[in-house]
Amino acid sequence: MQTGMQARKYRLQGAGLDLALPYLMLAPGLTIVLGVLVYPLWDGLRASTRAYRYGSPVSHVGFRNYVQLWSDAQFLNSLWVTVKFVALSVSIEAVLGFALALFCLHEFRGIRLLRTVLIIPMVITPVVVAILFRLIYASDAGMLTALSEAMGGGGVQILGNPLNAFIGLVVLDVWEWTPLMFLILLAGLQSLPHEPFEAARVDGAGSWRVFADLTFPMMRPVLAVAIVLRTIDAFGTFDQVFVLTRGGPGEATRLISIYGYDTAFKFQQTGYAAALFVTIGLVVLALAFSAIRLLRRIDAS
Amino acid sequence: MMHSSRLTRRSVIKGGLGLALATTALTTLGLPMPARAAGKKVIIGAFADGGLTPFKEKIIPLAKEQGFDIQFLEDEYGVTLEKWFADAQSGAGQYDLYLLDDPWVPQFGAANVLEDLGAGGIDGSDKDWIGAMIDMGYWPPQKGPRVKGFENAKPTLICVPFVGDLQTLTYRNDVFTGGAPKTWDEVIAKGKEGVAAGKIKYPVVFRGVSGNPIVTSWYPVFLSFGGSFFDDKWNPIFNSAEGKASADFFVGTMKQNAPSGVVEFDSDQEGAAILGGEAGAIIQYSGNALKADDPAQTKVAGKLDFGVVPKQEKAIAQMGIFIAGVPKSAPNKANSIEFLKWYVSAETQAKLSEAGSIPVKRNAFGIAKPGNRLIPVALQQLDAGALPRPRTPDWAKVEELLGIELNKALQAGSGGGAALDTAAKQVKDYLTTAGYY
Repeated sequence: MQTGMQARKYRLQGAGLDLALPYLMLAPGLTIVLGVLVYPLWDGLRASTRAYRYGSPVSHVGFRNYVQLWSDAQFLNSLWVTVKFVALSVSIEAVLGFALALFCLHEFRGIRLLRTVLIIPMVITPVVVAILFRLIYASDAGMLTALSEAMGGGGVQILGNPLNAFIGLVVLDVWEWTPLMFLILLAGLQSLPHEPFEAARVDGAGSWRVFADLTFPMMRPVLAVAIVLRTIDAFGTFDQVFVLTRGGPGEATRLISIYGYDTAFKFQQTGYAAALFVTIGLVVLALAFSAIRLLRRIDAS
Repeated sequence: MMHSSRLTRRSVIKGGLGLALATTALTTLGLPMPARAAGKKVIIGAFADGGLTPFKEKIIPLAKEQGFDIQFLEDEYGVTLEKWFADAQSGAGQYDLYLLDDPWVPQFGAANVLEDLGAGGIDGSDKDWIGAMIDMGYWPPQKGPRVKGFENAKPTLICVPFVGDLQTLTYRNDVFTGGAPKTWDEVIAKGKEGVAAGKIKYPVVFRGVSGNPIVTSWYPVFLSFGGSFFDDKWNPIFNSAEGKASADFFVGTMKQNAPSGVVEFDSDQEGAAILGGEAGAIIQYSGNALKADDPAQTKVAGKLDFGVVPKQEKAIAQMGIFIAGVPKSAPNKANSIEFLKWYVSAETQAKLSEAGSIPVKRNAFGIAKPGNRLIPVALQQLDAGALPRPRTPDWAKVEELLGIELNKALQAGSGGGAALDTAAKQVKDYLTTAGYY
């Protein structure tokens, strides 16, 4: 009798443990996710509805911080600069990345080395990239000025001129992140089926026809994913601007990330900065959802 | 016999435990062993600046002889304010002492995150202090307007002056052969002669980068033209006729006589221009000035002299001292206060002066052999006139707003007065939102 009861007890223990084990094993991961993702998000949302003075919350202001953003000329300027920067740099990166991926699809002597060299900019720390470009752009002792002077010209003004500084920042971003586009698109191209291309060749289609009617339509989903990823990433660009221009000259390169950083940490307007980042987060989220919907529509067609 | 590789609960738990143990062991082995304290530990946070070189090279070794174990942590200027404020406010306790830029004192004071050094035994009423310097260590300020919420609070000594840095003129003695130029007009006129004679490339050089750098360069010009920043009710009045004249002179005449890329110049490019022999004159803090006699750091050693800043109406410089505060969260608070008492003693201040740094006590200026010829000139400047920046916790924002507008005008090469009008409106709006009025 006792043996039977013991067996039943062990069976129950085993069943109980079986039931609990998945939750127990999930618990550490879940705790980490709650701790590092959900709580900061919640805390940020809470902060965005408060007014801070000298670094401490002093009152609840509801949505006033959010409303105030849309009459803040500095915020609107930063948003506009960011949108221009993202649109321009991601477009150029997509075109260049696609072109490079198409070129590197061919097998020829040295192609492996070329593919490796092409992704080097992406693996360099962004701060180091910014320092490198500062050494190129500096009007007093930069590489461009040295080249210009060697050819009998004067100093080259990049960082001291609003338009040039903005273009200089876009060039830096394109140099650093085109390799990511290239890598994603090359992987996409390599995974395309061979048969349609062989059939097209047999039918006498030229290179342009093959690209326009086969390669591009088949690559559209991959291209869309690459563009979405880069767009989300480009909205958060910070290190390069922080080192290269700190947002200047004037406000010509002050991206939203720099304005948000200064507002939160330098000017101690924590609540206002939280509202700013929540708003930008929502904008980026909306962009990502739109892109995903577009992607589904492309897939369906 | 067939070996089963089925994943069992027991194997998962055993594997997990093994992994956890291995991780713990590796982490423990990978962590550096805590260094054995060699004395009374004091962790000092500072921003990288040549003005602290004599302290680092000569005074830290002396402090070690006194039994202090100094850990000196340096950061780039642009990130220290936010880093230390976060440390102080969160009570992280990563530092025992901050070497602040003096305009940051009100922000730390208003947030009530620094120790009362008067209560710790440091005498703020000692007559040997340079008055204008020790005044900057009090919050709320003992003199001048106070921000709302602190009108009736008792001034507390939360910081003590550490290096008495202030702006002076550095000029080329082969260009300005009659000694330091007395006025801005003379700086430009004689500088042009120096350019024509092929001795220099530009009469002046300054910092044009938006924010703190450009405001720091414009401020002594503004003061010398007779400008005032705020009235006693915190209304911006820097766009007065005097202020506008100074801004127009700065973005117009001074830019025309400076390197073409001055809009993007910060202290490193500015220093390179004067130490490299290209510029005729510069208003600067001690960081680069201390290198003026070192042939390893300048191409024009022996050709650089120091003087009081030029005037239009007054010869007033901007003060920008290093000032020390002890966070309430400091892990070695008692050591820090003991260190500060030793550091501000007459003997150590004399050593600081011998080491070539600008002291913070008047007697130390009078020692027989100051370590740098800039030191007596700094005292002359103090006596001629040197003013701190306004004592508001919102100075960083004010400086940012003004700096952006000045930088835009500098790019254009004109419109300094209009830039001040725009900035004054922005500052007024911001301070209104912040509840100043």
